[in-house]
Amino acid sequence: MKLSCRFAGGLAVACALALTISGCSGGGQTSAPTTSDDAAEAAYTLVEDGTITVASDLANAPLDFVDEKTGEAQGFEIDLINAVADKLGLECEVLPAMKFDTIVPLIEQGGKADVGVSNITITDARMEQVDFTDSYMDSNQGLVTLAASADVTEDDLNVEGTKIAVQAGTTGASWAEENLPNAEIVALDDPVVAVTGVQTGLYAAAVADLPVMTYLCSNSFTDCAVAIEIPTGEQYGIAVNKDNPGLTEAINGALAELEEEGYISELEVKWLGAEL
Amino acid sequence: MQHRRGALLVALALALTGVFATALAAPRPAQALTTEKATARPNEDGGDGVIGGMDTRLTWEGTVEPGEEVTSVTLSLPEGSTFDGSTTRITALEGLKRMDVTGEAVPAGSSLTVSFDQAIPEGSLLRLEITNMQFPSEGGECVVSGTYESAGATHELADSKPIETIANTPLQSIVNWLDEQPWVEAWNSNQFLGMFLKPQLLVTSFSSLAPGWILCLGIVVAAYPFAIALGLLFAMLKISKWRILRAVAVVYINVLRGTPLFLQIYIMFFGLPMLNINIDNNLLGIIVMAINSSAYLAEIFRAGIQSIPQGQYEAASSLGMNYVQTMFTIILPQTIRRVIPTVTSDFITAFKDTSLLSSVGVMELMMFSKNLTTVTGNITPYVAAGIFYLIVTLPLIKVVGIVEENIARSERGSGPRPKRRADVADSAAAQMKEAADAC
Repeated sequence: MKLSCRFAGGLAVACALALTISGCSGGGQTSAPTTSDDAAEAAYTLVEDGTITVASDLANAPLDFVDEKTGEAQGFEIDLINAVADKLGLECEVLPAMKFDTIVPLIEQGGKADVGVSNITITDARMEQVDFTDSYMDSNQGLVTLAASADVTEDDLNVEGTKIAVQAGTTGASWAEENLPNAEIVALDDPVVAVTGVQTGLYAAAVADLPVMTYLCSNSFTDCAVAIEIPTGEQYGIAVNKDNPGLTEAINGALAELEEEGYISELEVKWLGAEL
Repeated sequence: MQHRRGALLVALALALTGVFATALAAPRPAQALTTEKATARPNEDGGDGVIGGMDTRLTWEGTVEPGEEVTSVTLSLPEGSTFDGSTTRITALEGLKRMDVTGEAVPAGSSLTVSFDQAIPEGSLLRLEITNMQFPSEGGECVVSGTYESAGATHELADSKPIETIANTPLQSIVNWLDEQPWVEAWNSNQFLGMFLKPQLLVTSFSSLAPGWILCLGIVVAAYPFAIALGLLFAMLKISKWRILRAVAVVYINVLRGTPLFLQIYIMFFGLPMLNINIDNNLLGIIVMAINSSAYLAEIFRAGIQSIPQGQYEAASSLGMNYVQTMFTIILPQTIRRVIPTVTSDFITAFKDTSLLSSVGVMELMMFSKNLTTVTGNITPYVAAGIFYLIVTLPLIKVVGIVEENIARSERGSGPRPKRRADVADSAAAQMKEAADAC
């Protein structure tokens, strides 16, 4: 299972080159491709040789979601992990969508997927189960209601009988449990179902990651709005099995390079409309 | 009497001035760091209480006022709480933008001092998330107080709103006892056993999944009488003489049998509210289950009715019975006996299918176990849910077997199945022989 270092290194260089060239898209820049020697030298194991297998819930547009037409995974994080795989000289395979709350246990268990990339916030509790790479994005929480009733406050919602939809296992869910203890918290499979429920009046509000909520409200659910932006300053990281520190290190190296090359900013513009 | 009233007035006046004086004498000190809130993560397994004496996470938020900078914060909790062994996550935000702030948290018993490597600037929101700390084990209302350092001087922090905590529950005590057992540790160290059959989680799962199990049973038991009535109705329509009635029944049955229950649930749960029809979730669950089952039952009943030999109809009409009489006194009673096993099987299916309702937020068995799995990152609650389902389905499966056996026996007579049905003489002889043997 050990990766042939030289081979991987060579591939990484080639891929980095290819990436830089395609990334420049005919621009006049000729930045020398940085080699990812230290990243490739770290020894790690993969579920499938030569392929980085990705677990994601694919339900958090624009970070990770399924293209309606082709049925393929796409989004900020999918581009990012593909670029990381390129850097490491690996193929990238995104597993079919799975429920968010199963991803961290799945990575902890090992054997099915190498990394969890599903806007997973780095928390101390999760860090007891899995390792996280360096953060690639900052985030906050957003609370969505119908646009007509977007002037609610937390206190309005924190009453008996109010139903708040969340995605099971997320930091949004635990925010709601902690901060709206009187409301009934309904844990659903994904934010899209949650916001659909808000739209149809099933739930008073939905709480999930702010970038996702902003995207949903401006694209699919135009009669809903982000009523409360909740500053939490959380950070997304890629989840890796604890027995695979080499992979964490290798991804960190690749992420650092991508950051340096400005690829992450490019992705932010592409998927979020602006640099963060 | 007057004397007394005067005394009262004086007392009142005194009390009033007292209130005034305290209000004037102790104005709220100008805070450089305003406490916004302090909350704790529920740590009751399968519940939403914050239990003292068990690891939980405290989140404290404060705002740095204009013109101020904060270099360190000390949070204090009531006696008996402990920050020992906790980890602290420091976040400082300007609006929604995260700032690069690092620092060090030093726990000391019931207080925790967080000193920042660089001062937290004015206007920012400071968030401290302290994981694996504990509240006093006797529970009660816990106020987070403390101090902060700003420009070299130490000031008092305003008290937070109290956090409600509770003392340990009996169930939690069992879990804590299990936690200490060496055999439990050995068991859990096996990755598979620890992931699927963790004893502590089995205990909590059984108690916290019970309401979901009751709801599942409630939904399917409430739905079934309606399903049977509807099913019978559509079965009759389907064997009706009139083409239109038959068409209605065929469309109803085929559409419902030909689409996934999951889809039907989505249509009902998300569609009806859009038409401003708001029905209670549990009631709607009953309705969906009843409608879905009715289509399957209609087919079962139709097959059952048509399996009754034509001779029965002829015999009934020779007795001068009309169609309705024939149906209700001759055909249906025989049908019921024949369809009991299939209907029971359908009941089992319907009971299991209530799990699909979890996707739309009905608080049934799967929903509870999903929530529990989420919190614990362990598969055991699902296994516990499986056991709950089996408690109902296994006896029913047994019942189906027994009923089928009985029916088969009664239909072929009590003796062993004859080789050729027409050969009455043979079987009669066999029966006589058997009777002789028995004697």
